[in-house]
Amino acid sequence: MIPVIGLALGVIAGLVFQPTVPTNLQPYLPIAIVAALDAVIGALRALGERRFNDRVFVVSFISNVVIAAFMVYLGDQLGVGAQLSTGVVVVLGIRIFANAAAIRRRIFHA
Amino acid sequence: MPEHETPEQVDGLLEKIADTALDDDYYVVRSGVSEQPHGFNTVLTGVVLAVFALLVAIAAIQTRSDRPATERERETLINDVNSRKKLLAGRETTAARLRDEVVGLRASVGGFDAAFEDLRLLAGDRPATGPGVRVQASPGRGLQGTITDRDLQKLVNAFWYAGAEAIAVNGKRIGSLTSIRVAGGVITVNYASIGAPFEIRVLGDPDALEDRFAQTVVGRDWERRRKSAGVTFGVTRSDDLTVEAAPKSRLTVSHAQALKGDA
Repeated sequence: MIPVIGLALGVIAGLVFQPTVPTNLQPYLPIAIVAALDAVIGALRALGERRFNDRVFVVSFISNVVIAAFMVYLGDQLGVGAQLSTGVVVVLGIRIFANAAAIRRRIFHA
Repeated sequence: MPEHETPEQVDGLLEKIADTALDDDYYVVRSGVSEQPHGFNTVLTGVVLAVFALLVAIAAIQTRSDRPATERERETLINDVNSRKKLLAGRETTAARLRDEVVGLRASVGGFDAAFEDLRLLAGDRPATGPGVRVQASPGRGLQGTITDRDLQKLVNAFWYAGAEAIAVNGKRIGSLTSIRVAGGVITVNYASIGAPFEIRVLGDPDALEDRFAQTVVGRDWERRRKSAGVTFGVTRSDDLTVEAAPKSRLTVSHAQALKGDA
């Protein structure tokens, strides 16, 4: 119940306060979201496999977001920001699809 | 432990990524701390999910609010372009109008510039009317009675001296470039042949013209020839004489140029 409430609270907070992202951080937001999505899907799969652990979830979430953002930042500094972003998105995308496939297999047994 | 839980055996980067999709920590913790509650329904999970939802919401709102700004910018640019186009069209219209005005003014200069009109009158470029004298001459007998081009030249010259302002010989106006000469036994004025009887119209003060002409050598000579050789020669005053304009070909200057600074 608490996770659902947290999810709703986050959406509501975003809609109510409508915070603006500083221009400097704007390029990292999409990557951070993809990384966070990876952590969330992984958590869902772990939940399905009855391996979920909230501390692992928190750590993986934070580290995913921070590392993804840092890689894009590093890429920007090196002049290959777009390529590194693509790389990060590809890797995270594969992970997301793999986890989603695992969840699907568990639910539908297919 | 099932096969897929030992990902180290898989070759290939992408396959490895796909196989280790789930963080190893989940397995490690599971094996380390067994039979622990799953801990899904905790505040920590809720907070993290709230942060995640917040991130997504922010990104969505940002993208949504950025779009109108971009569109507004585009619309502003389009409006800018259109207004500039309108401005350009207006300027072009103004330029065309001014050009027409210039052409009109140039064309109308002849009708309004008094000094220019005086010069045209002086140069014989316009028909003229006014008081003056009419001279009629016809050849008489013998060599003395013959009227030559030289006689007409002297006559015209004498009237210029007497104060003539416009002269026409048999309707041929004397202009700046007019010549009176003989060609093939025929007298020509402005390259047009004329013959007897000669009629010379002289515009000017009739009194002065008559008196001063009579005193000139030319005037006396004609008087003498009238008596001795039977030449017909008469000077009659008139208050309403009209002379034509000199032909354009006798008024066109193509080589001489005005000196600069001598306006």
